[in-house]
Amino acid sequence: MRPDEGELSEELRGHLAIEIKERIDRGEDPESARRAALHELGYVPAVRDEMRRVWYSRWYDQAEALARDIRFALRSLTRAKALTVTVVVTLALGIGANAAIFSVVRSVLLRPLVNRDADRLIYIRQSAPGIGTDNFTFSVPEINDFKARATTVAAFGDFSTVDFTLIGFGHGPRLVKAGVVNGSFFEVMGLRPVLGRLLNASDGSPGAPGAVVLTHRFWTTVLQSDPSVIGQTVRLGPRPATVVGVLEPSVPYPEETQVIANVVTSPHHSLAMMNTARTHRMTELFGRLAPGATLEAARAELSNVHGAMVRQYPEAYAARARVQLQVRTLRDQLASPAQTILLVLLAATAVVFVIACSNVANLILARSVRREGELAVRAALGAGRGALRRTLLAESLVMCTGGTILGLLLAKPLVAVASRYAARFSIRALDATVDASVLWLGAGLTIVAAVLLALVPRLPSSDRTAGMGLAAGTVRLTPGTNRRLRAFATIQIACSFVLLAGAGMLIATLTALQTASTGYDMRQVLAIDVPTTATAVYEPTRATFFPEAARRLGELPGVQGVASGLVVPWRDRSFSNRVPFSVEGYQPADGEERPTAQLRVVSPGFFGVLGVPVLAGRDFTDAEGSDVAIVSQSVAQRMFPSADALNRRLWFGTATAKPLRIIGIVADVDDQNVVQEPTLTIYQPIRGGVMGQLANRLFVRAAGDPYTLVPSVTRIIREISADQAVERPATLEDVRAEVLMPERLNTFVFSALGGIALLIAVVGVAGVLAFSVGARMREFGVRLAVGSTPRELRTGVFRDGVRIAAFGIAAGAAGGYALVRVAERLLGTVQLPGALPVIGAASVLIGAAAVASFVPAMRASRVDVLQSLRSE
Amino acid sequence: MATPSDGQRLELLQGTLDMLILRTLKWGPQHGHGIGQAIRAQSDDLLKVETGSLYPALHRLVKRGWLKTEWGVSEANQRAKYYQLTAAGKTQLIREQDRWSRLVDAIGRIMNPARANTGE
Repeated sequence: MRPDEGELSEELRGHLAIEIKERIDRGEDPESARRAALHELGYVPAVRDEMRRVWYSRWYDQAEALARDIRFALRSLTRAKALTVTVVVTLALGIGANAAIFSVVRSVLLRPLVNRDADRLIYIRQSAPGIGTDNFTFSVPEINDFKARATTVAAFGDFSTVDFTLIGFGHGPRLVKAGVVNGSFFEVMGLRPVLGRLLNASDGSPGAPGAVVLTHRFWTTVLQSDPSVIGQTVRLGPRPATVVGVLEPSVPYPEETQVIANVVTSPHHSLAMMNTARTHRMTELFGRLAPGATLEAARAELSNVHGAMVRQYPEAYAARARVQLQVRTLRDQLASPAQTILLVLLAATAVVFVIACSNVANLILARSVRREGELAVRAALGAGRGALRRTLLAESLVMCTGGTILGLLLAKPLVAVASRYAARFSIRALDATVDASVLWLGAGLTIVAAVLLALVPRLPSSDRTAGMGLAAGTVRLTPGTNRRLRAFATIQIACSFVLLAGAGMLIATLTALQTASTGYDMRQVLAIDVPTTATAVYEPTRATFFPEAARRLGELPGVQGVASGLVVPWRDRSFSNRVPFSVEGYQPADGEERPTAQLRVVSPGFFGVLGVPVLAGRDFTDAEGSDVAIVSQSVAQRMFPSADALNRRLWFGTATAKPLRIIGIVADVDDQNVVQEPTLTIYQPIRGGVMGQLANRLFVRAAGDPYTLVPSVTRIIREISADQAVERPATLEDVRAEVLMPERLNTFVFSALGGIALLIAVVGVAGVLAFSVGARMREFGVRLAVGSTPRELRTGVFRDGVRIAAFGIAAGAAGGYALVRVAERLLGTVQLPGALPVIGAASVLIGAAAVASFVPAMRASRVDVLQSLRSE
Repeated sequence: MATPSDGQRLELLQGTLDMLILRTLKWGPQHGHGIGQAIRAQSDDLLKVETGSLYPALHRLVKRGWLKTEWGVSEANQRAKYYQLTAAGKTQLIREQDRWSRLVDAIGRIMNPARANTGE
């Protein structure tokens, strides 16, 4: 019954045919008859719409019309391939980057944890800002105090990070990152096994047999999900342990934990010191809120308990350290290291999206100016403003949908890259995937972009007297359109400026870090971890192992020297604790803190192997006793300003301790900070004390490429001790590069975003200028005819480009500054880029704008006077 | 033939187009173009129906069931849609015609009181 589209059209066609025939019959010539008939009929689509509206509801009608417009848009866009491809690719980059970053942000910051009642799960942290320690961890006596006094926390789980040498699963000795936990840990965490069982209260008792649970990642990646591992006995450090289960996929916090074992597996945990020394901190603390208790209540109560501890044992909490207690949910704790970087990244990709949109807006605006003739004809024929907008909307919808589809395809590999990147900050990022919510985000962005873009072009005025030229094929650039084009180009430059200045800041920081002098010989020294069987296990065999290793490795061809110690510079960052000391003849002034120094235990030859100059005195010898020390230059200068430090005495702690005689002074080296700071360091010989039994780092100085030595070094070490794990051989240069990886990645990502932004902005500026030159050909022709030189025209266009860039940079600087102020309110301190990156970014943009204006400027100066004047 | 200029042409009163269409179709089936021509001719060119109003009006009347349609071949040898009154359409025409004369009468009384009082 309802007439369809074809029927409506056919009826109108019939009408037209009759009208034309009647007119011809009246004597009109066929062409004018046709034209008059068409004119009388009016704007056919509008009439047809009216007829359809009789039959169909308004919405159906609009949708139908839009569908028709979309079909039309598809047809007309295939005729403008270059434009369409540019728009689609630009949008795809913008949307793809946003979708990828959003996926990572969601998985890190928003996705719930798998832990049962994760919002009741808290992480308790002790920090000491006074000595720059973000996470001080806890000692057993501290944890016992919390357990005894807290009522708002139903149960505590504790977790100490321990590196074990694991032998088993048909594999040689290897280092595993392990957690040693108490019996209630898994109950507190609210996790389940996928295989076997987890550790429970009976595993936590002192007499229990060793038991170990594998994390899901370790089980699937290292053991290829082999279910037969359950029940196997492995050697974990010095003791055997039975594999009892596999943990469900969950955040293996803290750190990249591979296995979790009960307390008895760690010999260190059974030492008296571990259980009695309040300052022997190495355990992290989790809690589950008691029923009815809120996070705030727990925070208040635990802070109270902590405050009482600090008052009761002042010697364990140096005032200088400013020890504080933080209580937050585990989820916040997991997200916090990644939060800032992810939000900044999200903002940066949003900026890229804005740039992409404004560039696309520019292209579409330019296109619509070329189409003004067509739009004017449509308007003259009675197409309403709504209908014209709908036509434009259809076109931008088609392009945006194309961009989104491509963008979401791009998002998948981008997510993989971004999640690996973000995993450096939060392990949760590894689980990021593209899913439905990202599709929704993409669809949302599409609609936003499409609607914005459809609103950009100016419609022909409904006031006919305003006189839109109907003449076909000419482009007239009205001041309004020109302003809009320029505005969008300026926005692009401004956004690019912010990104480039940010990237420049990161590059400057990274360069400073990378080129900073370190005091070590970076290229020729191979650092190798030869761990004790478990973290902090005293192994008397070390006293013979290292000298023998040094002797046998020293005989290898290409080896210039071998030394051992406890700290690989920058890689072993947990040795920043400073020990108070005093020296002969030095009285601290009133109120002055007692001096503290880093304590390092090194073998003879250490300084020579690492290239640290001995400034005075001598190095340790093989026969050294425990009563000698070597100090860094800073110690010598600060403690003995007027005299020679050699042969003076110093003490750790108070003067009642055994005195050490200073036998040498070496240059300052900072093995904790990449950028060196004057460091008070005191070195002791490795064989002199108990610390030597912990030695676990080997340094080999090579004549040629250090890495070629790795196989023979490994072989010799295994010959000396078959169960010795040999891990992470790397030159100091590569160690530092690895440590700088987050900075490098940040720099890379932001530079990439800045580069994309720059590219889009250059295309934008070039497009605007090219378009404005194209539209002003006639003007240029006239100017040439009345005496302007080509050079003047060229300079004019050039100046135009640079002016757009300058305005953009000014706007970007202002906007960026405002952004930093807002960010500061949300995130705390935000670093402002220094003068160099700002000036660098500005000059890059000005230069790029100059390059972008080159082609249009040349074109302007080559206008053929006659042709341009004849063209209308 | 002298056609009235745009200024002399009369705007159709709201709602009267339907009635005129029904009246025109009283003489038999006709296509849209023909209906428009007929209204124009019978009003001595004083009434000109815009195509943009005519066709939607025709479809409206079809939808209400007062007209029915049939495809045929026009004098221009072109397929055209012919409109025809239904029984309900005829009733509606009578109703509208009646209403119209009462309306004209009423308005006439107001506009020309003297003639109304003395006349008829």
